[in-house]
Amino acid sequence: MDGRIVLKKKPDTLKAVLLMFWFICLVFLKSWAGQAEDKPLRYDLEVELLPEVRMIQARGTIVWSNLSQDYVPDIQLHLYWNAFKNELSTMAKEARRETMYKRYQVRKDDWGYLKITSLTTVDGYDLMPTAAFISPDEPPNPDDQTVLKVDLPEPLAPGQSIILKLQFQAKVPQNGIRVGCYKDGFFISQWFPKPGVYEEGKGWNCHQYHLNSEFFADFADFKVRITVPQNLVVGACGEEIERIDDPVTGKTTYTFEQQDIHDFAWTASPRFIKIERWFRAEDQVSPEEYQTIAELLELTPEEIKLPDVRMILLIEKQHQHQAERHFKALMAAIKYYGLWYGPYPYRTITMVDPPFRTGSGGMEYPTLFTAGTSVILDKKVLSPEQVIVHEFGHNYWYGLVANNEFEEAWLDEGINTYSTAKVLEAAYGPSCLPVRFNGLPLNWLLKTPAIYDWQLGRLISGPVAKLDPIVKESWKFYNSVSYSLNVYYRAATCLQTLERYLGEKSWAKIMRTYHMRYRFKHPTIEDFIQVVKEVSAKDLNWFFKEFFFKAKDFDYAIGAVETRIKPEKFLGIFDDLPTKHSPQTKTNQDETTEKAGEKIYQTSVTLRRYGQARLGPEVTIKLKVEFEDGSLEWREWDGQSRWVRFNFEKPVKMRQAVLDPEAIWLVDTNLSNNYYALKGSREKISGLTGDFLWLMQSLLLSVFNLL
Amino acid sequence: MSLGNYLEAGLNRALSRFKIALYLWLIISVVALIAITPIGSLVRSNLGHLTLSQDLSMPFELNIVEVLISNQNIFAPYTVFLIAIVLISMLLFIFLKGGLFGRMLNQDNRINISNFLADGSRYFWKFLLSLIIFLPFLFIFFLLFRLLAAPLEAWSDGAVTEWPVIISANLKLLLFVLLLAAFKLLLDLVRIIIVTESKKVWPAYCLAIKFLSRHFFSFWGLYLLLGLVVALICLGWLLVGQQISSNHLAGILISIILAQAFLMFRLLARQLFIGVEFSYYSKRKDKV
Repeated sequence: MDGRIVLKKKPDTLKAVLLMFWFICLVFLKSWAGQAEDKPLRYDLEVELLPEVRMIQARGTIVWSNLSQDYVPDIQLHLYWNAFKNELSTMAKEARRETMYKRYQVRKDDWGYLKITSLTTVDGYDLMPTAAFISPDEPPNPDDQTVLKVDLPEPLAPGQSIILKLQFQAKVPQNGIRVGCYKDGFFISQWFPKPGVYEEGKGWNCHQYHLNSEFFADFADFKVRITVPQNLVVGACGEEIERIDDPVTGKTTYTFEQQDIHDFAWTASPRFIKIERWFRAEDQVSPEEYQTIAELLELTPEEIKLPDVRMILLIEKQHQHQAERHFKALMAAIKYYGLWYGPYPYRTITMVDPPFRTGSGGMEYPTLFTAGTSVILDKKVLSPEQVIVHEFGHNYWYGLVANNEFEEAWLDEGINTYSTAKVLEAAYGPSCLPVRFNGLPLNWLLKTPAIYDWQLGRLISGPVAKLDPIVKESWKFYNSVSYSLNVYYRAATCLQTLERYLGEKSWAKIMRTYHMRYRFKHPTIEDFIQVVKEVSAKDLNWFFKEFFFKAKDFDYAIGAVETRIKPEKFLGIFDDLPTKHSPQTKTNQDETTEKAGEKIYQTSVTLRRYGQARLGPEVTIKLKVEFEDGSLEWREWDGQSRWVRFNFEKPVKMRQAVLDPEAIWLVDTNLSNNYYALKGSREKISGLTGDFLWLMQSLLLSVFNLL
Repeated sequence: MSLGNYLEAGLNRALSRFKIALYLWLIISVVALIAITPIGSLVRSNLGHLTLSQDLSMPFELNIVEVLISNQNIFAPYTVFLIAIVLISMLLFIFLKGGLFGRMLNQDNRINISNFLADGSRYFWKFLLSLIIFLPFLFIFFLLFRLLAAPLEAWSDGAVTEWPVIISANLKLLLFVLLLAAFKLLLDLVRIIIVTESKKVWPAYCLAIKFLSRHFFSFWGLYLLLGLVVALICLGWLLVGQQISSNHLAGILISIILAQAFLMFRLLARQLFIGVEFSYYSKRKDKV
């Protein structure tokens, strides 16, 4: 097969006029509440999949409108699949530089590409002669072909639109990232030439495809016709509005449409089972739940009412028995994201169990996401649930609130990781850590602790706090590990900290305000900080400066505790004149409940600031000291100096001291040094020593048996 | 002689010499204690001065992980320390193996620490040499394993579902265990011959290979059967251990005692293997 495709020829001029008319109608007749206000794009694409040669052939039109006040001389397009074209792409170079692990390795025949074969204006002006690949990001890479710059015949004036007619072909990368195919299963994303985002006064925001970055695009209306062999089951973003079987060619053409989304992905596999369910808000959310959340948000229950949503699951036959588990997780996500942040605005959501070995699991697209599971699962491990909740959540953070993932990835990944943990906690409770060997779950044999997502997240993100700040261009992070731990987990931990510091109610209002205000928009961190400041009425610039813009670790600790019996007599020469520092004078920090003849214990607790980051103005960290008679002493420290010492005098010894007992400062990279107990339970430590010993004995015994 | 007779003879021999397991357990425990001391003291000193506060915002296990992450700079020196311990232990274990085989196969079933150590020193060099000569057999083992596993890998590579991947991975594991058992059998037999027939290492290898060429499958079958029984008991032991709560002192103590009893069981099982192998060999050696 030569890979060419024959598409039905349509009268181009008539089509263009109709397209333009439709576009104008959409721009001016904004009848649908909540839709994107300034939508500069419309796609009308036809694509055919040729599975035997792993190719797609496509044609169509892209309408782009200049909504800025600038005269725009060119247009820049993402051709993402060229990242998988050769070893000289920016992404391949970055992957080779990775030393901690390799995410990207391809064999000779696995390469993919995206090639525009024709690009003209609607009146036939050929744009290809001026087309050139550019690499806007530092360091420049002249070999990268993921951004194509095309000069327009004349600069596009403010308010003007251009209709681009294009034909392109692409080879599906076998081992791509977020895209791929294996045998006759395909997951197709980032497959079409996609204009960057034009920013007034700044020009095009159109970055190369990097190893550690995702995407940024404008809201658009999509109409996509997908032609595939009849044996393939297809799923795509948006709603399926038409399906035509052609018995002559043995092919089927599906038409999908969706307004107000900024990307379009689709999938096809003969091993999919398609199952549909409805999220019925009436059944899923009780009046009491509406009332509780409404009170939290200071809204009425009517204002937070959720709509019904059609849920479509494309699941591999081998995982069919887990369908209900998938739907349960999705319904929990639709419910809680909807109640907390705002109703899901689209009519459908498509959940894809990605085709086997396509490397496309756990990825988000507007109105469609990929999950990922295994044939044998443990009930105690929330493995598919975590992915489902997270990837659905991206419809809110990335899909609707569409920040620039190249430049400020934490705005969707961090917020969504935080949100995922909250949903899982509300819907499921803690989950056991998975133990698997050779594809078999072993949790029935080896006990693992039940933990919350956020607990693990804060733990693993601590070590990268000093490596990179959270806010940084994705490709400039030290490596993939630092990128993902900072952007996902450290950011989420910072948000958890903010929530605890500001209080549940204030935080809930912040998150909803931010979401609803920036739906169908492209906010930045400045917008987020502004909402936090506005709703909480607190200046938290210091917080963002310390934790988001700088690579600093935050570690307050109990450095030392000393307890001794106060001497009954002091040696030396004492005259009768009172002095400022006379031993009889009590300082403000000392506590004495001395009675005649009673032993007095002097306890000093030294707090340390080991980390570089410090608390902001008018913020303190609390110390709780508990004594053997049950009495409590509370102290507060502004945390500015490197250490502080608090002294206590009591007729009893101290039992334990806890720094930050309310666990507000979860961003602390080492919470274990926040506790100090003079007496207490040794059971855990004894058990742990026993476990360590047993592990080492077993290891040595195995060596002994082998020799 | 039936299967039951071999097992009975092996079991009697192992139980009558249970003190060997006790010596081995003691020595291994001392080495293990030395090995865990640095990491144990690190954790203890980081967790609230030997005891732990009740106010934790994380499960205890995560606190441990946090302590280890916070002190990750000690991992490199600690790994070197561990490797050194294991390397020194390997020499020690060859010595102990001499004691184990020597006492297990001696007609005199009086066991004390001095004759155990004397046997260790008597057979040390021979056992060390037997291990060195075994290395080419290990190479053959890996070669054979790769060869036999190749069709399973091909099946897994061409799979369109997870099942072939999981099944082939576990079949490969089974294949590995079966082959390893076969080769381990050879080493055990060589050592039995060294001890019982006072042979040098090369003649012992020749005799062992000659013996196995006649009796391999029945000997291997016996070994695997015994291995299966031991593996099932281990599994049961682990399952019982899972049921014990570690939230109370009594539970923790029971867990520790059970864990140590489990190690003793593994050592006794090793003795049982030697006893059964010896019993099988002594009955069949005249038929070579």
